[in-house]
Amino acid sequence: MANYGFSSYHPAVNFLFFAAVLLFSMFFLHPVLLGISFFSALAYAVRLNGWRTLRFCLTALLPMAVLVAFLNPAFNHDGVTVLVYVNDNPITLESVCYGLAAAVLFSSVILWFSCYNAVMTSDKFLHLFGRVLPSLSLLFSMCLRFVPRFKGQTKVIAQAQRGIGLDPGEGGPLRRAKKGMHILSILTTWALENAVDTADSMKARGYGLKGRTSFSLYRFGRRDRAALLFLLALVVLVGWGALLGEATLQYFPRLSGKEITGRSLVLYGGYALLCLTPLILDAKEAVAWRRSQWKS
Amino acid sequence: MPQKRRISLRTLLSLFLVLVLIPATILLGVFVLQDRAYYFISLLLIVYTMLPFLLLFEKRKPQARELVVVAVLCAIAVAGRAAFFMIPQVKPVMAVVIITGVALGPQAGFLTGAVSAFVSNFFFGQGPWTPWQMFCFGIAGFLAGLLFRKGRLRAGRVSLSVFGGLATLVIYGGIMNPASLLMGSAKLTWGAVVTSYAAGLPMDLIHAASTVVFLLVLAKPMLEKLTRIQVKYGLLRESS
Repeated sequence: MANYGFSSYHPAVNFLFFAAVLLFSMFFLHPVLLGISFFSALAYAVRLNGWRTLRFCLTALLPMAVLVAFLNPAFNHDGVTVLVYVNDNPITLESVCYGLAAAVLFSSVILWFSCYNAVMTSDKFLHLFGRVLPSLSLLFSMCLRFVPRFKGQTKVIAQAQRGIGLDPGEGGPLRRAKKGMHILSILTTWALENAVDTADSMKARGYGLKGRTSFSLYRFGRRDRAALLFLLALVVLVGWGALLGEATLQYFPRLSGKEITGRSLVLYGGYALLCLTPLILDAKEAVAWRRSQWKS
Repeated sequence: MPQKRRISLRTLLSLFLVLVLIPATILLGVFVLQDRAYYFISLLLIVYTMLPFLLLFEKRKPQARELVVVAVLCAIAVAGRAAFFMIPQVKPVMAVVIITGVALGPQAGFLTGAVSAFVSNFFFGQGPWTPWQMFCFGIAGFLAGLLFRKGRLRAGRVSLSVFGGLATLVIYGGIMNPASLLMGSAKLTWGAVVTSYAAGLPMDLIHAASTVVFLLVLAKPMLEKLTRIQVKYGLLRESS
């Protein structure tokens, strides 16, 4: 699953896609664009994470979305079409609509982030930013490596403690918490001493000197260039449409948007294509694979 | 000589931020973004405030030893959060960040906070909350370091715990609650803000209490260990 279709493209392509889609999704409150973004995000999340996504949607996303949808009309009384008065406060149609739109927006952003987490793994992120921000990237990658390492070392320390009769799993909760803190303290000492060793070793191997290269698995090939240009073109198209006001729907004081013209349809089409790019690329690869199997 | 250059660079950068970038963002938000203005202005301002810290660190070309020690502290914060993941809001991140700020200075404190938040979200999931969390933990570490340097904060268990509890409630709760509100509303009303605080208060109280407990237990041994490693290897003696 991980190295297949869109995920196997160069990190720059992946990152551009998510940056564009997340930015646009946080912006656009136009119902058509909201729908496009939400359903594309949902489809891609299901494709990446399987049906687990739907359970996540129902148990975590839906309650939050409902909260967002209710929060708006409850506190925002702008808008001219009053539906009903609750405690002398007007509940307006515009505010209800805005609440619903914000709920969909919120859900699609979260869904896009769940796709981001599956596709933009930390090594891709590092590959992209390692050259621009070397120190911060190194800090970040060491940190990622230390976390599992410290967990492993915690187990080793706990076993040693058990060996000398201080089983951390024994006794009441207070005693256990005390032993847990003791282990954390031992871990800290070990980690800090170990860190200085690591640093000396890094220095001995020429950290910070000129001309050092770093290992990377990614190659920027022809198809990556094609995908990057394709995405860039779509981003420009959508951005241009948005600047012309085609993506705007005024919610307050009353719902009003531009008429849907050919130009808006181009924007909708471009946005849909942009949001669906990973799914299209995945499908393309699946078809190619199917066909190659069929031939042999 | 490098000291002087660093300060002038920092001043220039912050002048540019305050005089050009921030007003431009606000104007852009007010005139172009309409309904999404609040969210984007605030998000961009958060990013702007973090940038100088991160870029200065990058510019300084930190030594390997310095990098590794900060990485260790971030990893301890993250691993600690992972160890307590089954109890919501019990996270030692704030405690570790404050201890780092006191022991290694405001800059290292900010860095540890921001990086811990960022890295821990690689384990718990990135989302629109990531930059806000980075900012909250970062600024708490920075303040701890700054107040300690200025002599306003003592490195004792009790004073650190009080500071930690307040920082969690006021900084983390104070920023994260309205931040989640901004994501989904057209305009901020006092009612909505107060409600978001009220809804978040129980969680914030648990978070603050856990920070206090962590600091009560960890502050002294951790500070001792950090001082020991500094003395033993002579590292990270930040002068500013």
